[in-house]
Amino acid sequence: MSTILKLFTFPISLIIICYGINTILGGHITPGGGFQGGAMIAGGLIFCIIVYGLEESPFKLSHDFLAAIESAGALGYVFLGLAGLVFSGFFMYNLGVDIYGIVPSTIKTIFNYPDPLNAGIIPYLNFVVGLKVLVGLSAVVIAFLESDKILGDDTE
Amino acid sequence: MIFYLGPLVIGFLLGFILGTRIKPSPESKLKFDAEVYLIVLIAAIVVAYYVGPFPYYLDSPLASGFVSSIIGILIGKLLFGREGSAKSQIE
Repeated sequence: MSTILKLFTFPISLIIICYGINTILGGHITPGGGFQGGAMIAGGLIFCIIVYGLEESPFKLSHDFLAAIESAGALGYVFLGLAGLVFSGFFMYNLGVDIYGIVPSTIKTIFNYPDPLNAGIIPYLNFVVGLKVLVGLSAVVIAFLESDKILGDDTE
Repeated sequence: MIFYLGPLVIGFLLGFILGTRIKPSPESKLKFDAEVYLIVLIAAIVVAYYVGPFPYYLDSPLASGFVSSIIGILIGKLLFGREGSAKSQIE
């Protein structure tokens, strides 16, 4: 890749990543949330990986890191669902909003997202979905780029 | 001007997680010094100003989540993205 592209890609990818995070943060109000924001973050990471290559990319996405983030996202989603089941009897019940008035106020306060809209657990679900999607999409590209290495190992 | 805690904390957290992965490449000829990050911070604040108070909180003139995410990236990079931590990970 050209030097100009290499100079500009990393700063621009940081802005793209921030915009992806901003999209996740607006997921409970606007169309598009965790998935779209996660895809935008993955786009920023993929932009760097394509231009610099896996070895020289400023983002060092190790297998352990990707596995940890994806697991944290999945477990966070399950935890929020089970919390609803435990405290209200309904899986994925929105504890922060508590539309049926069946949850103690302490639990309601804990699970409520601190913003003026009282969205409850929806922003947290967007957050964990964003983590899963950003890992999933960037892992696909990393796997494709590493396919030579993997295939080479198989043939040997 | 009111700053709501939710977008600030979650934006910072996501940015911090990604910022910890920015590490220098010893074999690369390109190096991104502190000036690059300073310019990115200024550019991000300008972008956040033009994005407006997303997601529609009308709390501040700029997107507070956007700014907190770039601050999270920079702090994550400063804390975990140094040359020493990159070498220890390779080893």
